Amino acid sequence: MKFRLWKKAVRMSMRERKTFIVFTLMYTVLIFMTSFFMESVIEEFLANNLTFTSVVPLLVVILAAIFLTLLYAWIIVRRNRKIWATLKCIGWTKGNVTQLILGYIFFTTLMGLFIMVEFLFHWVAILGYIQAEYVPGAPVSGLPLIKLWAVLFTILIFLLVQFIGYMGARGRITKVRPMLALKRVGE
Amino acid sequence: MPIDRDTMIEVIDVNKEYRMAGAIIHALVDVNLSIKSGDFVMIQGPTGCGKSTLLNVMSGLDLPDSGKVILDGENIARAKEDRLSRLRRQKVGFVFQDYNLISTLTAMENIEALLWPTVLSSKEIENRAIAALRDVEMLERKDHYPVEMSGGEKQRVALARAIVSKPRIIFGDEVSGNLDPESETMIMELLKKINEEYETTILIVTHRESVVKYGNVVVKMDKGRIKSVK
Ligand SMILES: Nc1ncnc2c1ncn2[C@@H]1O[C@H](COP(=O)(O)OP(=O)(O)OP(=O)(O)O)[C@@H](O)[C@H]1O
Ligand SMILES: [Mg+2]
Repeated sequence: MKFRLWKKAVRMSMRERKTFIVFTLMYTVLIFMTSFFMESVIEEFLANNLTFTSVVPLLVVILAAIFLTLLYAWIIVRRNRKIWATLKCIGWTKGNVTQLILGYIFFTTLMGLFIMVEFLFHWVAILGYIQAEYVPGAPVSGLPLIKLWAVLFTILIFLLVQFIGYMGARGRITKVRPMLALKRVGE
Repeated sequence: MPIDRDTMIEVIDVNKEYRMAGAIIHALVDVNLSIKSGDFVMIQGPTGCGKSTLLNVMSGLDLPDSGKVILDGENIARAKEDRLSRLRRQKVGFVFQDYNLISTLTAMENIEALLWPTVLSSKEIENRAIAALRDVEMLERKDHYPVEMSGGEKQRVALARAIVSKPRIIFGDEVSGNLDPESETMIMELLKKINEEYETTILIVTHRESVVKYGNVVVKMDKGRIKSVK
């Protein structure tokens, strides 16, 4: 794997501005929901009263994340088929192309994580600020919206989901034949 | 030019057929062809006669059903996909009818992209891309995106991409098919210059009579067979 290709993936994904923003925001929402449900599931688990109904929403958002990642891979591969064919044609291996696409997905997820973590920090900062002014002496332990370990767990899950995205992209990229590059549009 | 130049590509008894909805199309029938290093080859023939198929097979984009394709000393008729990819990167340049530049990359980046997966340093890649852009007289447009260029200019950038790895051979299928006569002349003159200066073998499929004069070898095909080589 070439480190350079990761850098190029970051640059290229950001230049597809609309897709990038839409998927980053969708990831942000999903990451937020995952850590939210994660927190309650783990709390119930530790209190030994985990019920099926509280696990369901967590599973649903994780499945949604997997679906979104596959969808993103699918859209990127599908919409730029001629580009991937051209790159293969001029000598990129399918591994090179897959890495570039994985880079798109990975970077988008990282941005989602970043936005969410930023949001959580600011939430506490703002509430803490107001509280310090009007309720001096009140404990700050209730301020965080979602507990740190739930966030960490969520990050772990989203990194694992990337692997599924990788598998999805790889299968699709293999099917893009380099010969396609020579075909005229619409042929 | 020296008389006994090396053989660049040798096509030996190549057959290829397509099966579609029960019908069998014999796209290539017992094709034999030998191209010498430094040749400028024009492939002509009526539509559907197998020109593109032959080009695909010779450039390692597609595999023949039988026969051999010796590209620069190596039989590629049974090569694996990744081997073919590397071979194309090192030895082959491509120019396409509709340019195939990447819209999210500048002219410079489009050319560099070919070398991104290599071990070359970024500085070296940059230098090579600049040299290639200078060769096609597009250096002052290096930071422009494809949408900001005319068809002829895009094709010149594409040509720079084709030569950036200093390939031994350049393939093109209807490279001037979308261009006005003036741009066509410019592209063909550039190809001729590349052919002469770098001794790059060039192989072009074309319908246009105006282009044929640039070649020193003209291959005529019909119904999957080679009719004549002049
Ligand atoms: N992928 C394919 N599946 C089925 N048949 C194909 C395929 N590609 C080409 N053919 C058929 O093989 C024959 C040769 O096609 P080819 O594209 O090589 O012709 P060509 O000489 O390049 O024609 P043109 O001048 O129109 O580009 C044609 O009859 C075509 O219909
Ligand atoms: Mg053709």
